[in-house]
Amino acid sequence: MTSIVICSTAFITLGRTQLKALGAPDMPIAVIPHPFGLRTRREVRNIAEKCVDEIARLALGGVDETQAGVKASSSADRAQQIAVPEDFEAFNALCEERRWSDGLPLVPPTPERVKRVLNSTRRSAQDVIANVAPGFGTATAEAIAINAVMAGCRPEYLPVVITAVEAATEQRFNLQGIQATTNPVAPWIIVNGPIARTLGINGGMNCLGQGTRANSTIGRALRLVLQNIGGALPGEMDRATHGQPGKHTFCCAENEAENPWEPLHVERGFAATQSTVTVVGAAGTHNLNSHAKDADDLLKVIADSLRFPASNDYHFGGQPWLVMSPEHAEIMKRAGLTKSDVKRRLWEESKMIASRYASKDYVRAQHTRRPELGQIGPDTLLPISIKAEDIGIIVAGGPGTHSLYVPTFGQTRAVTRAIDDVRSEAH
Amino acid sequence: MPDIVILEPTARAGIAPREAWRPLDTLEGKVVGFIDNSKPNFHLLADDLAELLVAKHGVASVVRHRKLAASIPAPQPAFADIEQKCDLVITGSGD
Repeated sequence: MTSIVICSTAFITLGRTQLKALGAPDMPIAVIPHPFGLRTRREVRNIAEKCVDEIARLALGGVDETQAGVKASSSADRAQQIAVPEDFEAFNALCEERRWSDGLPLVPPTPERVKRVLNSTRRSAQDVIANVAPGFGTATAEAIAINAVMAGCRPEYLPVVITAVEAATEQRFNLQGIQATTNPVAPWIIVNGPIARTLGINGGMNCLGQGTRANSTIGRALRLVLQNIGGALPGEMDRATHGQPGKHTFCCAENEAENPWEPLHVERGFAATQSTVTVVGAAGTHNLNSHAKDADDLLKVIADSLRFPASNDYHFGGQPWLVMSPEHAEIMKRAGLTKSDVKRRLWEESKMIASRYASKDYVRAQHTRRPELGQIGPDTLLPISIKAEDIGIIVAGGPGTHSLYVPTFGQTRAVTRAIDDVRSEAH
Repeated sequence: MPDIVILEPTARAGIAPREAWRPLDTLEGKVVGFIDNSKPNFHLLADDLAELLVAKHGVASVVRHRKLAASIPAPQPAFADIEQKCDLVITGSGD
């Protein structure tokens, strides 16, 4: 069948690059002005009158000018060895020029370093772990190891990074959407089980801040994979309006020692003795500071803080997350509440009246949430997620009266996978 | 300045071309499908394009499908319907 894509001007690069990645490099693009959504009805009509002739021209084989300047892809099953300057400044200048960098200096991925890193996994170098959207580059174990070296990972971190790539490329995570969206969204890596302790992944004080090599470099390695193998370069296929600091690294462990409930991986069906990675499509963190010492009081203010009308979770029926501090979790536990009880209470108490929406967002919610809620009117109470159990909760952090709200991209589901390819002699 | 050898960190992008894109010989009498990405105004653009394709270019009829949200794929029945009925499919990408 003959196909044509309509893109607004700001999305030509994404559309053209992705068509190439999906094996349809010659599919034409009809261009309309950006931002299209702001146009009045009359302006839409004027645009349609021009666009229809462009569609007719392209459908009959007319030249598509958006095809100019698309680079040919190189092909190699194994990573190519190339000579680069040994000098630190010159090497990093080259990385910036080739857009291999996240903006911070990188460690040169020499064959020796890559081999050392690969020794920590039972995978062989050529094992294909995934194809990474939106460019669908092939992430072999070796390609992931190269990026892990560049990010500064210790060799033993590689199995965590590989598992994070596997989890993030599962369909329900919607990496395609997360990588290419204008939203400020990044995969948040949560590590559970014994490996978090073995590798020293921080789940305590400042666990989402600076200061721990594992947290800093595991998240960074995933980012480099998403950029270098997935092809999501800022301003090209990564269309983020602002991005967010978590796009550099967004990784922590759960504070299992101070968690009064079952840890996340046990809740999600794994044995306590297993190690797992969970990825969440996170749109940042929001501080929930409350000195409440009463569970009802605390639930009320947290629920109220989750509720805002420009939220993707409400737009789509998402999967919002909470990082409860040990102190806040303890208040819930003392009141006899299970994690599931807390989810239920938050879900009930955070319902938002549809009249709070902007009119365009109200119309959108009427469409996106109709399968779940039926007809939506101004008085409809919208839950933050489709089901109460869709609210994610981990316990992490140190002393303090703070929990964190982690709103999500909305059109994404968290994925948990076991880390099962550690080569034991590596520890 | 001395060189060192490194392994290149990027990967081969994507999939080999599936089949060459084929133009239509005419729009006269053809069936055109739209997959609306559900972004603001796309449904209005599709309304106008549908009308103009029929009025100006002799398109026989138009088949419409709308995604639930922009960042998730259209449901499989929409693809099947379009594949069965349409000669040309037009999708939207971006805002």
